[in-house]
Parts: sequence; structure tokens; C-alpha cells
Amino acid sequence: MKKIILTALLLAPVFAFAAGNVQLEGNFKVGPAIILICILVLFVMVGIVFRAKDTTDFYAAGRSISRVGSGMAIASNWMSAASFLGMAALMYGTGYHGLAYVIGWTGGYVLLLILMAGQIRKYGKYTAADFIGDRFYSQKLRVVGAIVAILISIAYCVGQFGGIGLMFKWILGIDYNLAVLIGGTVVLSYTLISGMLGVTKNMQIQYIIIIISFLIPLFILTYKFDYFWLLPQIGYGALVSDIVTGIPAPEIQNMVNSFGHDFALTASPEYAMPWDPASGQTFFQFMAIAFSLMIGTAGLPHVIQRFYVVPKSSDARWSVVWGLFFICILYWSAPVYSTFGAVLSSHYEVGKLAKDAIVVYTAQLGDVNPLIVGFLAAGGVSAAFSTVSGLLVAGASAFSHDIYVKVLRPESSPKQQLRMARYGTIFMAIIVAALALFNFALIAQLVAVAFSLAGCTIFPLFLLGIWWSGSNRSGAIAGLIAGGSVALISIAYFIAGYFNLTWPAHEFISYWLGAWYFAWFGAPLAIIVNIVVSKMTEPTPFEIKKFLVENVHS
Amino acid sequence: MEEKVESYDFSFFKPTTRLAKFNRNITLSLVSVWAIGIFGFHILLKIVEKPTPEDSYIAYESVWNKISNGTASPADEKVFISSALSVLGKLSVNDNDKVALENVMSQFVIKLVPDSLKINFNEKINAFTAVKNDSLTRLSDKDYIDTKNSLADFASGFLGIKSYSVHAKLLPFILSNSSIRAFNEEDSSKVPAIMAKYLIHNQSFLTDFKLLGFPFHYFYTAVFLLILFVGLCWLYCYRTDKTLIKLNVTESI
Repeated sequence: MKKIILTALLLAPVFAFAAGNVQLEGNFKVGPAIILICILVLFVMVGIVFRAKDTTDFYAAGRSISRVGSGMAIASNWMSAASFLGMAALMYGTGYHGLAYVIGWTGGYVLLLILMAGQIRKYGKYTAADFIGDRFYSQKLRVVGAIVAILISIAYCVGQFGGIGLMFKWILGIDYNLAVLIGGTVVLSYTLISGMLGVTKNMQIQYIIIIISFLIPLFILTYKFDYFWLLPQIGYGALVSDIVTGIPAPEIQNMVNSFGHDFALTASPEYAMPWDPASGQTFFQFMAIAFSLMIGTAGLPHVIQRFYVVPKSSDARWSVVWGLFFICILYWSAPVYSTFGAVLSSHYEVGKLAKDAIVVYTAQLGDVNPLIVGFLAAGGVSAAFSTVSGLLVAGASAFSHDIYVKVLRPESSPKQQLRMARYGTIFMAIIVAALALFNFALIAQLVAVAFSLAGCTIFPLFLLGIWWSGSNRSGAIAGLIAGGSVALISIAYFIAGYFNLTWPAHEFISYWLGAWYFAWFGAPLAIIVNIVVSKMTEPTPFEIKKFLVENVHS
Repeated sequence: MEEKVESYDFSFFKPTTRLAKFNRNITLSLVSVWAIGIFGFHILLKIVEKPTPEDSYIAYESVWNKISNGTASPADEKVFISSALSVLGKLSVNDNDKVALENVMSQFVIKLVPDSLKINFNEKINAFTAVKNDSLTRLSDKDYIDTKNSLADFASGFLGIKSYSVHAKLLPFILSNSSIRAFNEEDSSKVPAIMAKYLIHNQSFLTDFKLLGFPFHYFYTAVFLLILFVGLCWLYCYRTDKTLIKLNVTESI
């Protein structure tokens, strides 16, 4: 089987002989479609070869993944459609403000590592809800933790399905809704077949595909438009400065986009200047988004769950370093797309573009070879797939392991548990696909909702649960209610706004507790409430304190 | 038993084991660097910033009062048109702002065209609008390119704009998009806010200084902070491994 996979990988470029014409949207693109199909077939075959054989495999990959391998899996799991497509979209639309997402989604790993990674591994549980249930000695909290984990996974997945839909739409030239359904079905099939072990192996392959597909067009663009191409992540700096001062149209046309427009632009300092009035974003929003994404990173169940799949806690720590480095390679690169995209699409004739597809459009407008653009789009699909599969497994684990096995049917056999995990995966995928059809907001913004939700709920429980033995069950419940309430209010107002409903103090709530950054308020509130209530109620049992000191901090 | 229970009370700020003390110290150090690096820098950026107008805004301000009063000379109107083009050529301009500014600007372009050529000028606008909206199949269509270039050359000639400039290339689209009505008070009243919104920026020595081609603040956030994050993570793991050996702690899992 491994030979077949290798052969498929080698033959993929041979089959991808027919490049489609340069068109930003619309028609079916043969070359990119063949590349995408080859990559998807490869994923499914890897999933079959490394499929889960039992529940330990399904939940935690048999705890057999190396540091670098786990780092790659962390990066692949992390580098979603939001990173691949969404970040460039935000920077394209709001300039410097989009960098809040770049630092938010990387800076959070410092917190995750220092405050949690090793300790979580030492605690020795499979899922976030498992930890919450045990640490706060409450079956009810375990169930609530599992439900929150499922909600976070769903919120996160909605953006990913949106990204999959956009890329399938671009490649296949089909309707967005149909594209979401087809893409969702494929990712669901392969997650069901493979489980976490196959997913982890796939993630390592996916990382390589994602990063190569993302980087190749950057070298071409910087070379073609005469910037320092050996390191595009630095080379585009001069372009940022050129955008600020303006790029005059040359008397003799030499550098043009794929439509034949000059590589020229009116001075646009608003692209690079902080919280520029033209972007419609403020200093507060920049800081709130960065902070919320950071603490959300440290509270995401599917990220935390990655630390269960390494053999030791030192591996868990080093896998974060590797993971973050691999992630940063993409995050250093994403602004290059938005910067080139800004100039290449600036002509009136290009018209309005779907921001979430600007990565692909930029490569097209830069007249990059259509096959390479197709590979880029397939990389975008791959990024969404890798994250969705991890999220579906995390959500399914929360359902089958934390609710079904631990609460409803403790006597169930491993076979029944695996079956429930698969039912959970299907159920989640259906809900996500249905929500993705609404197209609520930009991909990165939808994903940011999941981060704020995690920051308000899971993060305070893990932070206090690990670092303060005084945090008890009552405190955890109170903190969860406080953080959850903030999340509920913010999301309810956002949905009301989407349906053009105006609720009391709508403008005030929408600004100060925006759906992408409400954790700036919700997380500190949940922590304070947890501490105050814990101080006022019955202390944590001796066994828990003993376990914390002897097993986690010694 | 009582003493034993008390000894298991654990808090980040009151660690009871040597490993926990190490963890507290390194966490406080690294999180401080992390927080100052991110939030400290951006607070500094906010403190030192000053609203800095573009040259186009200064030029616009010098003529707008005269334009509002109806006392502007053709030279003043050309200055205003040039400033408006600086906004309309930007990357992202809100649709409502764009419509208002296009309309106001187009009125002054028409005004500058001599009466004897007005009919000819309107015909060129109408011809381009018709080709663009009705019969355009490819951007490389000769008819489309000819009518576009003809209008751009014609208009830029009256405005004193070089025909190969970015501004000149905007003119056909702005003129064909705008409704070119009589002077519109509503659109005109929006102009000061639109110009301020797009032509005044938060700048300081941190944004003006260049590093590796980047504006410094942009380099700091987009490149350096990510290096800092990886460095902090590496340092934490390295110091933790060393400390575990020093404390003779073996991690079983």
C-alpha cells in the first residue's frame, strides 16, 4: 500500500498536464482539479494505511509520535484555512490590523508551552473534558467541558468548511453551497476511516504539502516583481514601503499583472499604518483581538489534545517549539500574499474580489503558472482538511469518551466506544456543514469566535486547575458560568446583527464584546469569579492536591 | 496528617517544590518579556503616534474652503481633483465614500472642460460607459481599450495629469461610474470627512524609520515578534531540561 501511495505522489504532476486558463473565478480548472484529487486520494490512502485499530489509537495515536513529527502535526493541525487563506484576507482588507491575528495565533503558543503543555501531559488524561472532570472531581463538569469542547470544535470547523467551499468552488467552478457539501463529505470520510493515528501521519504529509504550496508562488512573485526573492518573507518589506509612498506607473510598461495592468499604485499608507481610520479598526480592537486569540490558543481542546500523543512531557514541550517554528514559516509568509495582492488587484478593472480567496487570486494576478496556482489552492484545501479532521476527532472524543463512556455507558466495549466516536464525527460534520452554508463572516473571523469561546471557558479552568490547588469544583462551575455568559451574550448579539435585528445597547456590545474578541473581558472575569468562589467554598480534596504536587509539579 | 495536608496546598505564587519554584520564576520572566514585547510595544506605538496628513490632504485643505464658497479658480479645482484621485486610487475605499467622491470630483472635471468640447467629452464618456457595460467580453478588446485610452488622454489633458500616470488611468472609470449630476450638496458635505479618513494616518518615528525595507513597526510585528515567540519557547525548553537534570528529576511520562 505504501508503494501505491508513493506512486500516486510521483504520478500526480504527470496527470496534471492540462493547465486551465488564467481566470480569477468561474470555469472548471482541469489542472488544479487533478492536483486536488491526487492529494485527496493520497490523504485517504494514508488514512487507510495508518488507520486506528483501537480506542487508544483513535484518541491519542498510541502515544508514539516523535517530537518533530508531533511538531509537524501541531503545525498542520493549526495551519487551517484561517491561516492559509484567512490571515492574508484580513491584511488585504484591513492592513496592519490583520497582524493582530498573526501575533495572536503565534504568541498564544508561548502561553500554552509555559503554562500548560508539559503539565497537561503529566496529568495524563486523554481529553480536555477528562482533565476538567478529574481535576474538579465532577461528572457534571466533565459533561459541560465535553459540550464546550464540541461547541468550540464546531465554531472552528465552520470557518474551515467555508474555506474548503471557496477552494472547491474556485477549482471545480461549482456553486459555493455544493462545494461545501462535497468538500465536507470528503473530509468526513477520511476522518472516519483514519481516526487520530491516520490523521497524525496525514498531518505530517499535509504540513509538507501546505508549506511547499504556500512558499513556491512567493519566490516567483518576489522574483518577477523585482524584490529580494531569496527570502520573500523579508523581501516584501520594500514593497510595504512602496505601498506607503506609492508606486508610479512607468512610462514604458514592464511589470504588469495577468490583466496587463501596470504594477503601480497611489500612495496608500493606510495599508501599513496602525489602526488607520480607513481600516475602520481601532487600537482597542487590535489589542483585544491579539489578547483573545492568545489565550484562546492555550484553551483550544484540539490543540491541547496534541500533547497527549507524545511519549513524555519533555516531548510535549519540545513539540511546541517545533510546532511553533513550523507554523511561523507560514505566518511570516502570509503577509507577502496580501501585500502583493494589494498592488496587483488595485486597478479598477480587477473589481471587488472575495477576500478569503486573495491568496489564490494574488498568484493568478501575478501570472504564476496555473498548475502552481492549482497546487496552491490544493494546499489551501489541505490546510482546511488537516484542521477539520483534528477538530472532528477532538469533538468526537469529547462526545464518545467524556459523555458516552464516562457518564452514560461506563461498561461499553472498546468496539462500541469507537462506533460512538464515529457517530459523533458524522453528527458534528452535518451541523458544521449546515452552519457553513450561512457564510456568516470571513474565515479568520469565524475561527476567532472559537478562540474567544475557548479563552472564556477552557483556558481559565486549565490555568487555575494546574497552577492553583485552591481552585475547586464550585469555583470552576461559577467561573464557567461567568465566562460562558459573556460568550453567549456576544455570540447572540452577533447572530442578531447578522439577521439585521437590533437589540438593546447593540452598538455598545458589538464593539466592546465583539464576537472575535470577547475573551479579553470574559477570560479575566471567569478567572476572578473562579478564585473568589473557590475561596468562599469547601476546599479541594486532599487527593487532588496531592496528585497535583506529586505528579504534575514534582 | 494535618501538616501533610497543608504541605500539599499549591499555588503558582507560593510553590512548594523546587521544580515549581523554578517554573514560577521562568514563567514570570518569560511572560514579562512576552507581554512587554507585544502589548508594551503597541502601547508605545499608540502613545507616540501623531495624526499625519498626506501631501494630498494638505493640498486639499488649501483649496476646499474656496471650492465650498464657489470662489475657486481652475487651478484650485485641479488641486482638488488631484487630491480626490489620491483617495479614489487607494486600495480599499468604502463604496459609499467612493460614490460620493466620484460624483463631486466628476463635476469639477466637467467644469474644467471648455464649453466647445463638452459635447465631445460627454460622447467619449458615454462611449466608454456603453462599451464597458454592454459589449465588453474581454479586457483586451480593441474597441474597449481605444475608448478607454481616448477618454483618459482627453481628460488628463485638461487636468494637467501625465497620461501614463496612475491617476490618468483612473479617470475613465471614475467618470463613467459617477452620475455626473448638478452640484450635489449631500455628496459635497461628505467630502471633508472622506478626505480626512483616507488621507490622515497614525504615524511616528516608529513607523517612519525603515528596517530591511520595512516600516520599522511593521517589521517588528510581522517578523520580529514571531522570532521572539520561537526564541522564548526554545529558551523555556532548554532551561527546563537543564533544571530537571540539575534537580535530578526524572519525568516518568
